[in-house]
Amino acid sequence: MTKILLQGNQAIARAAVKAGLGFYAGYPITPASEILHELVSEKSVKLMQMEDEIASINAIIGASLAGAKSMTATSGPGFSLMQESIGLAHMMEVPLVVVNVQRVGPSTGMPTLPAQGDVLQCKYGSHGDYFPIVFYPNSVDELYQYTFHAFNAAEESRSPVILLSDGYVGHLYETIQIQDYRISKRTLPPLGTSNRHFTGLTHEGSIPATSDPEVHKKFIKHLETKQKKVAKKYNGYEYRENASSDTLLIAYGALSRVSYHFKDDFAICRPIRIFPMIEDIKEIAGQYKRIIVMEMNAGQYVNEVERLLHRKVHLVSVLGGKIDLQEIWTKLKRSRRET
Amino acid sequence: MDKIETVQEGNVTKVLTHLNYLKQERLPTQWCPGCGNGIVLKLVCQAMEKLDFSQKNTVMVSGIGCSGRSAGYFDLDSIHSVHGRAIPVAEGIKNANPALNVIIISGDGDLLGIGGNHLLHASRRNTNISIVCIANSIYGMTGGQTSPTTEQGSKTLTTPQGNADTPIDVQAILKAHNSYYARTTVFHFNHAEKCITESLQHEGLSFVEIKTQCITNDGRRRGFKNAYEMMMSYKENYKINSKTDTLEHNEIGIIK
Repeated sequence: MTKILLQGNQAIARAAVKAGLGFYAGYPITPASEILHELVSEKSVKLMQMEDEIASINAIIGASLAGAKSMTATSGPGFSLMQESIGLAHMMEVPLVVVNVQRVGPSTGMPTLPAQGDVLQCKYGSHGDYFPIVFYPNSVDELYQYTFHAFNAAEESRSPVILLSDGYVGHLYETIQIQDYRISKRTLPPLGTSNRHFTGLTHEGSIPATSDPEVHKKFIKHLETKQKKVAKKYNGYEYRENASSDTLLIAYGALSRVSYHFKDDFAICRPIRIFPMIEDIKEIAGQYKRIIVMEMNAGQYVNEVERLLHRKVHLVSVLGGKIDLQEIWTKLKRSRRET
Repeated sequence: MDKIETVQEGNVTKVLTHLNYLKQERLPTQWCPGCGNGIVLKLVCQAMEKLDFSQKNTVMVSGIGCSGRSAGYFDLDSIHSVHGRAIPVAEGIKNANPALNVIIISGDGDLLGIGGNHLLHASRRNTNISIVCIANSIYGMTGGQTSPTTEQGSKTLTTPQGNADTPIDVQAILKAHNSYYARTTVFHFNHAEKCITESLQHEGLSFVEIKTQCITNDGRRRGFKNAYEMMMSYKENYKINSKTDTLEHNEIGIIK
């Protein structure tokens, strides 16, 4: 094991190479560009700087089907552009890793500042029904580790796996221990070996079936079952019990790093696999009177947690890319007092 | 005429000719009677047969629209991608595995409208892929709206007074980056086959624009009685010019 000082974005790129990345396509965007920069001199990676993010996601779909483990990285605006083809990759069952280093939105927003406003877009951004696996690590070391998990989960589920980060963790420098993690091998035979037809239409085998509801129902059920099964292998979350507190604080990504400051006053739960949601949260939450979700958006994951728990969940919202400990502490106290 | 060899596979009698490149159990195609897309499939099959392309070295990619269904009829690995993105998908395939012949068959709306930007950049990069553009000058699948190659003045569902805009100059785009460009029509069958065969052999990006009729959602609105009349109009309107570096609007030929 070697110790090394790395930036969050660099860690993703380095880990991707170790995990077997064969093809990368991307478009420059703050705060994700360092991933592209880190990969340009990698001899084992075929790299294309595309004309936009739509081209990037479609190029990695083609490359992945051609047999190369493939990845792209972007931020909110680019992630929005990719949504249609993320749906295509779910429909055609193509293993991909899509990294989204979040910044403040909507639109161009605050490009250099971190946010967590794309959380629901990961789950619902493309049209139709699909069941994405989404990881959201909160440190450089964890980004490194979860890049391997993202590639493995993509291969095992044959789906596009989202690796979420944010402008804070992405640009953070930390010393990490470089370790070897398990690597899933490619099982999907590459293009040029058969007569398969990969289509975005509802299909049965290689044949499009666009008017039979039974085929579609069966297909969606298949996607759901497959995704849940693979997700179970990556049941990543952190839980800091606090028997003296009646409140569970749920936070993830950059903001979860701050939550540790409140560990004496709250129990803390940090999901790393944010979708499909960690079922264990149900049991954990049962031990607390009050649940607060703290996130850098106007309230996204809070609704998902509420839906999971079937009970009222309170929101502490941090907007504008600034993480101010005093301000957050004041909000948390107010939330606890008023609920 | 030589006796046509056939082989029985289940309930399907497969014809052992160039049609062997197609999934014959999926025939007839779902396209309208009189559609030109089937002619393009046959042309591509014949070109592939000439060059001995096989399931082991060839991949077909399509976008969306009537022509987007083309890839799925080929008896090889094929991709039916989203609207306008056949080119970046094909570029990804070619870059990941340069040994594969990557062929795109898609429509003019798909390749030049929604996906037009990708053509600009793929030709700039000169990626070694072959693009066969079924240019019927109409959005046929959605009912007959004006497309990027609709002639000025032409009446469509969305231009009832006649199209006010000029069609896109594909030749200029391809020429700007010294890529292979050919224009042909489904009427000029042998010429079209030559254009496609040469394009498949071309090192670098190649683009074959095949003028094709859509009687259902275009010709009808423009006063044509049937597909035959539309094909005859190609015969009358287009002349082969093999000695120029720029094709006039009524000429067909190869520029490389």
